[in-house]
Amino acid sequence: MNVAFWCSSTPGQIWTWRYTPFLGVWLVAAAAIGGYLAAHRRAGQPVDRRRLRFWCLGVLALFLVSEWPVGQLGVGYLATVGIARYIVYSFVAAPLLIAGLPDWLVERWFPTGTRRERVLRTVTWWPIALLVFNVVLFGTHLPVTVDTLKTTQLGSFGVDVAHLAAALVWWWPAMRRAPADPNAIEEPLRAFYLFASSVLMFVPAAFLTFSPLPLYGLYELAPPLWLGFDPIADQQAAGIMMNIGGGFVLWGIIASLFLRWAAEQQARDAVTKRQRDARTLQRIAALADDDEDPAGLGHDRSRHPT
Amino acid sequence: MDDRHDPAASSYRPTGWWLPALVVVVGLLASACGPASATSLVAEGLERRADGWHGLPLERERSLPDVTLRDVDGDPVEVDDAFAGTPTLMFFGYTSCPDICPVHLSAIASAMEGAGVSYHDLDVVFVSVDPDRDTPERIDDYLDNFSSEMVGLHEELPVVEEALAQLDLGGPVVEGEDPRGEGELIGHPAQVIGFDADGQAQRTWPFGARRSDWVADLPKVVEEWS
Repeated sequence: MNVAFWCSSTPGQIWTWRYTPFLGVWLVAAAAIGGYLAAHRRAGQPVDRRRLRFWCLGVLALFLVSEWPVGQLGVGYLATVGIARYIVYSFVAAPLLIAGLPDWLVERWFPTGTRRERVLRTVTWWPIALLVFNVVLFGTHLPVTVDTLKTTQLGSFGVDVAHLAAALVWWWPAMRRAPADPNAIEEPLRAFYLFASSVLMFVPAAFLTFSPLPLYGLYELAPPLWLGFDPIADQQAAGIMMNIGGGFVLWGIIASLFLRWAAEQQARDAVTKRQRDARTLQRIAALADDDEDPAGLGHDRSRHPT
Repeated sequence: MDDRHDPAASSYRPTGWWLPALVVVVGLLASACGPASATSLVAEGLERRADGWHGLPLERERSLPDVTLRDVDGDPVEVDDAFAGTPTLMFFGYTSCPDICPVHLSAIASAMEGAGVSYHDLDVVFVSVDPDRDTPERIDDYLDNFSSEMVGLHEELPVVEEALAQLDLGGPVVEGEDPRGEGELIGHPAQVIGFDADGQAQRTWPFGARRSDWVADLPKVVEEWS
């Protein structure tokens, strides 16, 4: 059985359905879950099952698209699967991992006042986060980057790490909540922030969809999985995939976050209105009492609301 | 509970297991540092040469082979006569080929379309090096995946070997079992050879020629070699 560290392009190697485990993927997944549980134990904190579920689903998403066969197909054979991997890394795994982090663990990994925390605060300030995410998005989809880095396991690993790190940085201000995180942003800024990225994502997607020539030599010269699905068709499908992932899926997330925010606003307004109504009723009742007992007999006036 | 003031958190320090873990990770990463395999270099495509071509010039004279092959209808084709008068791209391969053949043929077919070059102005010829498996019907079906206007030729192995020898190319060799379970893999020349209208070989395009290389070269083939 072939064993490798990480999925990479293996030019000229014919695709077969023979299992090739990627040790690095298993190692990263085990370290992520083991480290998470160990951190809880060491801190004497109970495991929040809901957060653990988010964390494990995030790790599972990473595992599924990095291990064979999806990892190998995406890095070495089909641009469509390569873009699908990017979407899962950026829009599925990263938000799930952040949702799985309790505040105390963030404080533990980035203690207040340390340099680590200052770096985190800097890169997750939303304008910087937006910049980081898009620089990585554009940089890692340049033909020269893909054709150079994805042909080695280490390069391919580096690209995957960059995708995940940029996505974590990007989701951070949108998913964290104030006051636990001063960089957290709320609607309407959050909706703008996510929308801006979705629009920028249309740029590389358009290059993929409308380029008359295959952009990536790696996919163009890879042994085809089946005849008739040529590199241009693959590249166009990849562009559409990025549009759907970067556009419609992200817009769905924006819409759901916005609706949740609107519902929270509505609930807050309703509470305020109820409190106001209650105060008004109390005032009316007090006035009615005054009318019935103008001398204040039988009542302790000091208790009346003013 | 305000976990920001968790005393356990503030006393946290990396413990001893990090070091062996780090060693394992570094070891694995180092093992992943193998050089890119040879064909990864071709992902860059062919360079545009000083003469404006991407295809490589031939060092010695060669011409269309003087052999008689058969087309997919079973009719004999005298190669040197049949393709004289029109520039020709000739490629030796086989229909079970998993990599080089479909990549070359797919690139040529889409570049012909992209560059607006007609099959009336340029013959694209596929010669099978696998007479055991490549029946005329199979060759015909195979070429339909790229373009029905490509010409498929076949003949018994000695005749094909003679054609290869006249072009100074190595004969087909069995390279072992196809990992997909489709019989044997056959080694064959990986380059496409371009002949001018006089039947003289002018340039070759090795494996690694990309669509962009063909789009640049095909109009020149038609204009300069007709």
